[in-house]
Amino acid sequence: MGPLIPNGVIPYEWNNIIAILIGIFFGFILEASGFSSSRKLAGVFYGYDFAVLKVFFTAALVALIGILYMDYLGYLNMEQLYIHPTYLWGAIIGGVIMGVGFVAAGFCPGTSLCAVAIGKIDAIVYVIGIMIGIFIFSELYTVFEPIYNGYFEGNITLMDSLGVNRYWFAFIFTIIAIVAFAASDMIRKRVKKIFY
Amino acid sequence: MVNRKTAKFLSFRYTILAIIFVVLAGGLVLLPKYEKHEGIDPGELLSNAVSPERYISTDELAHKIIGQDPSFLLIDVRSEDEFNKYTLPNAINITLKNLLDEDSLTYLDQSQYDVVLFSNDNFYADQAWILGNRLNYKNLKVLKGGINNWYKTIINPPIPTENMAAQEFDLYAFRKSASMFFGVVYPEQIKVVKKPVVKKVIPKKVIPIKKKKKMPVEGGC
Repeated sequence: MGPLIPNGVIPYEWNNIIAILIGIFFGFILEASGFSSSRKLAGVFYGYDFAVLKVFFTAALVALIGILYMDYLGYLNMEQLYIHPTYLWGAIIGGVIMGVGFVAAGFCPGTSLCAVAIGKIDAIVYVIGIMIGIFIFSELYTVFEPIYNGYFEGNITLMDSLGVNRYWFAFIFTIIAIVAFAASDMIRKRVKKIFY
Repeated sequence: MVNRKTAKFLSFRYTILAIIFVVLAGGLVLLPKYEKHEGIDPGELLSNAVSPERYISTDELAHKIIGQDPSFLLIDVRSEDEFNKYTLPNAINITLKNLLDEDSLTYLDQSQYDVVLFSNDNFYADQAWILGNRLNYKNLKVLKGGINNWYKTIINPPIPTENMAAQEFDLYAFRKSASMFFGVVYPEQIKVVKKPVVKKVIPKKVIPIKKKKKMPVEGGC
């Protein structure tokens, strides 16, 4: 039956409309749960607030377990889902750059736009920084191209590269997540409380 | 205000959520595994099979062959003996037994060409079509009526009677010319060379009439 749009359950023309609706809800929930505050986001790195870790880890787990169940019951064909291609060194270097930006500014690209929407000045500066970064990348594209297009590994998943059964992978991943949640709670209790 | 019991229960909410997660993920591991069937959904297969679009008529095929259309492959699914006796021009022989061999996959599992399957009737070709379609091979078609129908319509087309519509005559004209393309010779095609009656021109005999020479007058008076 699913995915709904590729299999024609929902007409293809609805694609963008549904994307916009999902985007609006995503932005709303990000803002409502306080993710437009750079202090809350940076809390992960200083150990006084682990909401980011918990929220995103939980979201990934819910999606993973939900998709596996739906695939098992035949509501969703997992083979039709999009798997993001892996460009190994591009992903590593890009990840490091983004991580540094995340610690320094306290935003990731999505939450920064969310914060711009409610008029935060640090977020506006951050978004200007993103634009400058995009400009530099585009101008020097010929220099970066070997990394950008190289080290291509195909549309692989962790289950492919580790060679683990996907159900066992989901189970182990869940355990890791719960351990991480418990550990983060313990760390938070030891760190001095910060009010923001 | 939340009463005390609920408050006590809610203080464990994260533990409870964590337990739900572990149970759900553990359920995935413990679920009985089953082999998923390869290829397309049975419902889709059925709707493909019922659709008349999977057939190609002999007329369309003849038109393609004569037009030297490069976009299709002809595949004969009959036995090798039958293939050697008679087949359509440029056909490839892949018997029903060898249909899923690796060598045949290069012909069947591709998206560049239309594949036209045929056998004596469409019986074996239909079987081959079902096998291929189930494995999600694209562009498979079946020659409607197979070689028997090919023979009936293209090689030896029925002559329309006088009370039939004009279209029938057009169709007949097409089929007739197609059959000529495939090497059938019609009686009216054979030219009887009549010897032209050549009138013999009898050359006139030229009889020279000797002119009497005027003799010079002899003598004189």
